[in-house]
Amino acid sequence: MRTIRLMAVVFAMNVAAFAQWVNVKLPNTPRTPDGKPILSAPAPKAVDGKPDLSGLWRAADNRLLQDLAAGPGGAPMHPWAAALYKERSESLGKGKPLERCIPHGVPDGMLVRNFPYKILQTPDVVVLLYEEFNHFRQIFTDGRGFPPETTETWFGYSIGHWEGDTLVAETIGFNDGSWLDNNGHPHTNALRVSERFHRRDFGHLDIQVTFDDPKAYTKPWTVNLPFELYPDAELIESICENEKDREHMVGK
Amino acid sequence: MSTTPIAIVLFLFQWVNVPLPNTPRLPNGKPNLTVPVPKTREGKPDLTGIWRAADGKYLQNIAADGVQVPFQPWAEALYKERQANFSKDRPSGRCLPHGVPDSFLVTATPFKIVQTPFVTVVLLENQGHFRQIFTDGRGFPKDTPPTWMGYSIGKWEGDTFVVDSIGFNDQTYIDDGGHPHTEAYHSTERFHRRDFGHMDYEITIDDPKAYTRPWKVTMPFELFPDNELMESVCENEKDFERLVGK
Repeated sequence: MRTIRLMAVVFAMNVAAFAQWVNVKLPNTPRTPDGKPILSAPAPKAVDGKPDLSGLWRAADNRLLQDLAAGPGGAPMHPWAAALYKERSESLGKGKPLERCIPHGVPDGMLVRNFPYKILQTPDVVVLLYEEFNHFRQIFTDGRGFPPETTETWFGYSIGHWEGDTLVAETIGFNDGSWLDNNGHPHTNALRVSERFHRRDFGHLDIQVTFDDPKAYTKPWTVNLPFELYPDAELIESICENEKDREHMVGK
Repeated sequence: MSTTPIAIVLFLFQWVNVPLPNTPRLPNGKPNLTVPVPKTREGKPDLTGIWRAADGKYLQNIAADGVQVPFQPWAEALYKERQANFSKDRPSGRCLPHGVPDSFLVTATPFKIVQTPFVTVVLLENQGHFRQIFTDGRGFPKDTPPTWMGYSIGKWEGDTFVVDSIGFNDQTYIDDGGHPHTEAYHSTERFHRRDFGHMDYEITIDDPKAYTRPWKVTMPFELFPDNELMESVCENEKDFERLVGK
């Protein structure tokens, strides 16, 4: 009975997530003669000559949302972190921050395939708009360094620069509250995240993420995250409205 | 015991001071707020910048300048009820969005406008939410599900950016004092950047189910130069109702 109820809930959640998308023919989209976007066209350029990462993107693979370290060996956790991770994954993620409408953080917020995110690139800042919970993140590309002090935040403070065709973003100033993925890979406020954004072609974006958190992990570790463009679409508002039941319905 | 002073203290914490590029400066290095409005590559006024309400009075009462609000009777009764209980059920007290234009009215939490050719985005420090105003020529979608922030399309009329929004739910308060609206709410906002440091904002509230005719309010925004948004994620504020509400 409980299994049936659980499956009904999961089904309902997925149905809600595939809600009607707004279909909008977007400008500056390379198209075939019959109007379909050409996802293998070259990556577009911004006005300053850099590759333009702008677009609506979603995770190509939903498995990374559950477990970022799904490859062999896993993540090199310190014993306390491994114990916490075990507890979180065995309870099916009970207590994860999103149960209380708290943000996913970096990079977890990008990994939910059902909730795309939009990159809006300008010369001075790259803005990420997350469909889930209607939050945003800024990666400052105006040449600033990190502030002398950073308050502890869910999304960190991010600065970026270009190395050839790759946008390299460094982020510090995290709190210790977010989980790196749904299974609960932990981090502390010592976390520093490096993301290398590379748009392979019009329809594909690779982000290589390195986690450097010496308090939680014995050494930095890196994952490769593939994203695909979601063309001719738009973000849908998705406000977290007091979801108080997830903890009871899904957590163990 | 009032929590309002505590709330104000929390909001006035350290801002990130960052000299921003493309800022015209006086000889002493301070931003020159009265130089002409910058232009985009397309020749339009550039509204990009961090802005905040120049006058905090509109947050509690958007009609603070004395505009006669043409309530429908039920709406006036509801407004009076909200005034009497100090808006204890205000959705933003439960971490739900402020909506339009309430999210602009909180002086302590600025907002950043990022203007690009196809979309103008407003990043709201308050709750870390955003609004998109589409300027790629699209019209409204055929169906708009009710949302907290509405669906906004924008165009230029001379030097004024005109934003039309529909598709609201009936949940948000137009201001913290509780002017109501329904799903029939259609807002028209007019943004006019007077000079580098000053913007005039006019909003027309058109909701025939709540008001007998459209009504409008004008207010000033001021630039918040050499600064950055702070993160402000609303984390389960469950006590607002008990602390402030009556």
